[in-house]
Amino acid sequence: MLSRLVLVSGGLVQASRSFHQSSQSLAPVPPLPEKGGKVRHGIFPEELFTLLYPKTGVTGPYMLGTGLLLYMLSKEIYVINHETFAAASIGAVVIYGIKKFGPSVAAFADKLNEDKVAKAQEVKDQAMASLAQGIEDEKKEQWRVEGRHMLFDAKRNNVAMLLETNYRERLHMVTNEVKKRLDYQVQLQNLHRRMEQEHLVNWVEQSVIKSITPQQEKESIAKCIADLKVLAKNTQARATV
Amino acid sequence: MMVSFFDQFASPSYLGIPLIAIAIALPWVLYPTPSARWINNRLITIQGWFINRFTNQLMLPLNVGGHKWALLLASLMIFLITINMLGLLPYTFTPTTQLSLNMGFAVPLWLATVIIGMRNQPTVALGHLLPEGTPIPLIPVLIIIETISLFIRPLALGVRLTANLTAGHLLIQLIATAVFVLLPMMPTVAILTAAVLFLLTLLEVAVAMIQAYVFVLLLSLYL
Repeated sequence: MLSRLVLVSGGLVQASRSFHQSSQSLAPVPPLPEKGGKVRHGIFPEELFTLLYPKTGVTGPYMLGTGLLLYMLSKEIYVINHETFAAASIGAVVIYGIKKFGPSVAAFADKLNEDKVAKAQEVKDQAMASLAQGIEDEKKEQWRVEGRHMLFDAKRNNVAMLLETNYRERLHMVTNEVKKRLDYQVQLQNLHRRMEQEHLVNWVEQSVIKSITPQQEKESIAKCIADLKVLAKNTQARATV
Repeated sequence: MMVSFFDQFASPSYLGIPLIAIAIALPWVLYPTPSARWINNRLITIQGWFINRFTNQLMLPLNVGGHKWALLLASLMIFLITINMLGLLPYTFTPTTQLSLNMGFAVPLWLATVIIGMRNQPTVALGHLLPEGTPIPLIPVLIIIETISLFIRPLALGVRLTANLTAGHLLIQLIATAVFVLLPMMPTVAILTAAVLFLLTLLEVAVAMIQAYVFVLLLSLYL
């Protein structure tokens, strides 16, 4: 600390910064020990027992305690008076409280810390899960990209089919149109021939009719009547037979 | 010189050095500073949790302006609790049994609330002197009564704490003496021991005492 203060001649004290001048730094912080120091009977540290063990064995510290207590009582360095009972009562209350509520309080403190750690761990896990999910999605996308050419082929086929269909339709249309035109011409020719035929027949009929003289007409009518009479006689004869 | 039960409350001094200074300054040692670690040991964790919880509770009725008092009230609470609990141990001296100390806490803090209230919102502060809905003829009397009650507050705060703690300690001494004296005559002792024990647990309601103290201090915050 003193290295940070610089005494200026006017008696003023200024603080000058001194960073990173030693190899020690505050991070990473050394970890805390898992459990506190071991104690026996709640107050006496285990080191006292370990210290006295080589010379006085297991009962050493107990003998020391008893001896001290008896010494102080007998020499009346510690006088038993009303405060002793007050001390006994409060000692009883304290020990009862610690024995009864100690473990639950310790568990509560541990739970508080564990909750903190669990929350941070959850954040970390979620981040990792989302990153893993991202990797999966990326792989899927890459697989999709590989299959892209199939998609394009299918699309190309589609387009080709459409074009083909369109072409065929137009071909049909063209064929139909052409056929219609040709049919028309055929019908026209038929019409011509028929008309010519009819005209010719009419002309022939007309000329025949014109060529029949009145004489011929009378003869043919008389013949027809004679034929009819003969036919009638034949029919009557067949009917009576 | 006559030994009386009140000797325990005499402010101890050794060779002219007032030892009350040590008694007041020492409880600070029992509370370790929260370290720079993220996960601490059990003591620091519980201590932090308790103080946080307590301060939250304390600040609930207050608006944001009152939150400036959080540090003061929380540290006051911890201080008083520690001193009272330590005073339950045998052969200890409890500074809060001295009226001087308690009045030294009560008067300045109470005065601070009154003066700050008067300075920031004088009308509201004066308005507290008259409860709502009083019939008109009673107004002058009520103003006098409310003023008296306002001025008696610091007195009440200090004397309440002193009286409670002194009475408690005195009772412990008395009953312990009774147990001690009656020890040659067996049966009564058992009953009296039980009584002492019970009284002691009751006295661990020094905590409640502090609740009352700080809470009343808090209630006088109409800031």
